[in-house]
Formats: sequence, C-alpha cells, structure tokens
Amino acid sequence: MAQRNLEKQLNILDYALSSLWRRRLKSLSVLLVFAAVIFLLASFQMVTKALSDKAREVLVHTPEITLQKMSVGRQEAIPLAYRDRLAGIFGIRRVVPRIWGYYFDEVRLANYTVMGMAVEEMPDGARLDTALASGTMPGPAGQGLVAIGQSIKKALALEGRTTFSLFRPDLSLKAFEVSGEFSPDTDILTNDLVVMNLADARDLFAIPAGLVTDLCVYVANPQEIDTIAKKISETMPSVRVLTRPQIQKTYQVVFGWRSGFGSICLLTALAAFVILAWDKASGLSPEERREIAILKVLGWQTSDILVVRFWESVIVSGLACVVGMTAAYIHVVYFAASLFRPVLMGWSVLRPDLHLLPRLAAGDILLTLAFTVIPYLAATVIPAWRSATVPADSALGG
Amino acid sequence: MLIELSGVSKIYNQGRANEVRALSDIDLGVEQGSMVCLKGPSGSGKSTLLAIIGCIFPPTSGRAAIAERQLARLPDRFLTLHRRETIGFIFQRFNILPELTVLENITLPLLPLGVPPKERRQRAQELLARFAISHRARFPAGQISGGELQRVAIARALINNQPIILADEPTAHLDTALSREFMEIMQQLKEAGKTIVIASHDPLVFEHPAIDRTVTIQDGRIHVP
Repeated sequence: MAQRNLEKQLNILDYALSSLWRRRLKSLSVLLVFAAVIFLLASFQMVTKALSDKAREVLVHTPEITLQKMSVGRQEAIPLAYRDRLAGIFGIRRVVPRIWGYYFDEVRLANYTVMGMAVEEMPDGARLDTALASGTMPGPAGQGLVAIGQSIKKALALEGRTTFSLFRPDLSLKAFEVSGEFSPDTDILTNDLVVMNLADARDLFAIPAGLVTDLCVYVANPQEIDTIAKKISETMPSVRVLTRPQIQKTYQVVFGWRSGFGSICLLTALAAFVILAWDKASGLSPEERREIAILKVLGWQTSDILVVRFWESVIVSGLACVVGMTAAYIHVVYFAASLFRPVLMGWSVLRPDLHLLPRLAAGDILLTLAFTVIPYLAATVIPAWRSATVPADSALGG
Repeated sequence: MLIELSGVSKIYNQGRANEVRALSDIDLGVEQGSMVCLKGPSGSGKSTLLAIIGCIFPPTSGRAAIAERQLARLPDRFLTLHRRETIGFIFQRFNILPELTVLENITLPLLPLGVPPKERRQRAQELLARFAISHRARFPAGQISGGELQRVAIARALINNQPIILADEPTAHLDTALSREFMEIMQQLKEAGKTIVIASHDPLVFEHPAIDRTVTIQDGRIHVP
C-alpha cells in the first residue's frame, strides 16, 4: 500500500514535470523573473552579512576605547595632557595619541582618511604590519613615510612611483613616500586610508603641539571595557568615550539599515510578482479547463490535481531559489556585489574593491526561502483549488 | 444487471433561480456483455445519463447501482475511485491531450493508481499492438490521423481493463469509414465481454447490428414509441 502510494506520488511528480516542460516558455519566464527577485533579495542579505562579518573581523584591531573632546556639540582637538588625568584609573594599560582627519583632494574630488599614529606606543603596534600586503608601517623615525590603502594608490595613479605630495592648509606642499600598502582583505577600513606618524599628521593638518584628535585607550582586561569607559566619562564629562563594541554596533546598524532599506524596495517587487502569480494561477484557460476535466473523468481526484499544481510550484520556486541564490553568491563573491555597492558602501568616490566571502548559514537560507518560496506557493497553490474543482462532466458533450 | 437505474432524476442548481431538470424518472437496466445505445437530440439528457452511469456525479433522486454499488449519496471521492475501477470513457472528439505523446495519453488513467512506469508502458504497448498503432507510440497525439486518434481513445478507455465502456457521441466528428471502424472495434470489445453504453444520434451507431438495444431519450425522459 505504501509502495503504491509512493509510486502514485512519483507518477504525479512525473506528470507535473512533463506539464512544465509542455509549457516550457511560460514556465521559463516565470522561473527567470522569480530567480531575479530571489537573486536581488539574497544578494542584499549575503552582502550585508559579509560586510558585517568583515567589519567585525577588522575592527578587532581598533583601540578598545577612543576619547574625543567635545565642545558645543562638536569635536575639537584633545590636549595630550588629558593622559595624565587617565593615569589614576585602574585597568588602563596604555593611552596612545592619534590624529585622525580627512583630506579633500580637489583634483580627484575624493576624501582621503588620514591617520597619524604612534605605532611604537600601541600594544599591538608590531602586529599592524600583518594588515599590509607589502612594506612596513611608518615608524616615529620614518619622516614622510606613509602606508596607503588600495584606492589611494589608484586615485593618485602611483603605479611605479612611490612618492606624492599633499597640500597643507597654507597650500604649501608636503612630500610623502609610500612605505607600505594595506592588504585588499582590510579594504572595508583601509581602502581610502593614509597612515603616517604622528609628527607628519600634525604637520599636514597644522595641529599645534600638545593637541591630537583622539586618545586611544587600551585596557588590561577586555571584559572591563564598559566599566573603564564609564569611569572615564565620570572623570572627564566633556570627553566623548567610544568603545569598540559601540563602533562595531554602529557598523552593524549602518549596514543593517541600508540592507533593510534595499530589502523593503525588493520585497515590494516580490509582492508585485506574487500578486501577478496569484492572478495568473486564478485564471484558467479553456485548454487547462479541458485538461483538468479529462483527467477527472479518467479517475484523477481533485487532490491529485492539486498535488500536480503543488509540485509544479515547488519545482519552479525551488529551481528559481537555487538559480537566484547561486547567482547572488557569484555576484557577491566574484563581482563584489557591484550592483549594490553604491547603496551599501555609501556614495564615496573611493569605493573599496571588496573581496567578500559570505558565510551561508542555514538560518539565512531558510529566511530567504520563507520570504520567497512560501508566498509563491501560497499564491499559486491556493487559487489552484478553484481550477482543480472543475467538474468532470465538462469533458462530456451536451 | 451490471447497470441498474430506477426512478433516477437529475436536477442541476436545485432550489435556485437557474434550476434545470435534466433527467426525470429514468428506469434503465443494462446486462453484462451487452451494448446499448442512448439516442436523442442535443440537450435531451443523454450526456447527463452517461455521467450518472459513469459515476461522475450521483443522481438527485432515485436508485443507481453500477457494478453492484449504489451511487446515491456517495461522496465525490468514492465516485472517482469506483469510476477508476469500473468505467472506461470515450469522449466526443476523443478528448486526447495533443501535447502528450500517444503513450502518455493512453497511460493517463494509470498515474493516480500508482502503477509503476514499466508496467504502464507494458500495458500500453499491448493495447497499441492490438489496435495496430505501435509505430505511433512516441508521436505527439496532436500529430496523428483521426483514425489513429480514435484508436488511442479506445486504448485509453481499456488501459485499466474496466468492465464498462461509455462512449459519448464517439462518431460525431468522424467520416463514415472511421465510424464503421469504430463500431467494429466496439463489436469486438462486446464479444470480449465488455458492457458498452454509447450516447449517439448517428444512425450508423444505433442501427449497427451489434447494438442490443436502443433507448430514446427526449426532454430528460425515456421515450417509449
């Protein structure tokens, strides 16, 4: 009995496949449109996931706490002397000054992120070289040396050259020499970055001695980041205290918001497709009516015809899902999500050449299935009930 | 009696404004192995009567027993199951699905029965050979001649070896030669023990010597001359 039932299901599946093949042009067009919708949704999901993962991975190297001085709601330079006030807080391992600013290149109409770092003072300073694809990080003695991101290299058209100049605020030129290039794997943070020593950054931005833009605080026990941040806030109320988890969260929120915005647009497209599918499944051509009536006279039950329609929808949506998700994976991994980069990476001229590798978690795949296949099945199988109840006697004459 | 109808009536849309009384008080018995022709003009109720005999729907009132099973108040699901086992249908214009191959058309009734593909092919090949159309097995049914189409329809009606064959205006769209050929095949089936009911107003059918009895239907009633 069970064997007979299995054979029956296989026969019906076989008939559903042949039915799709007979209407191959219609089936293929539905499949392609559906696959395109799934491709867009899955791409968004994968790229957001990959960006968030990448941001989390790269941000591990950032300071545990960053301090910035605020005045009338704006950031201003922070005195180096504040370091002394931090000395009394238990748990702080080291306080390292940093100058962080933006340099606008009027020729290329692009912003470069310039960072003056005291690498020698940073606890993991020596490890920063691992972020480089070649060369070394500029040390305190390396006057005029810089490490640059991949887009900076392209924007300045350095190619064989290693030297370039940037303007000081008084429009005098300051020369630099490239001592290292950041690895493309760190593009999400280093793409538009120029790293130099603290003295060169101070000279480039004309920041007076004794002032920096940030103080980077490293703690002895990472479990105590929040406690120490709270103590610093209490000690210095005019200082903005940013913790690494907060920055990580900001990245997640930014990507999540952008992805959500895109997903809402795409879900609208999906809804339109589902409505169309519903409309198509509700209508019944004279040929389809005739076929159903013939099948019913020949001994097919209403449920058998519903199962045919169900399998047809499962095959179309399953194939569309495989095609759409595979295309999305290729788009994200091999084409660095080129369709969505403006949305997800901002509108900067120097956009990172990302090398994303999304983790395919079962939960994410199930989520995509839930948002695509299930509405399609509902939109096609529920109205199929109407078609499956065509009376068998309509195959007979009058 | 293999088919036994007593006081059978059929009313469509009962109790509504568009109520139609299609059959009234029909008494009919068909013995096993006989061939009966239901004769009458279009709209006389022949197809409705055929549909009741064919277990497509039960009568509104009266008693209908097909192959010793009472049809009245039988749910649709059980009517279908009974139809699968008992009735082979041949339709007007044969109602073959033109995009399917001849073999696929013939084996359609076997799919919901869970008959495996090998057995389906074997049964169909036997019938194709019997009706001399084996060479057309892989052809799309829309590309074969009217005579071959007729044999495909008959083969489909016999694929599950049902004891009753019902034919609804089978010669309505056939020329004289093909109509004769059809009746010859019906005669062979009758001789093989099948019970056959044909609804037709074609003299070639109701005057055929193999017909045991002709029943005239007029305005939903059996007309007695």
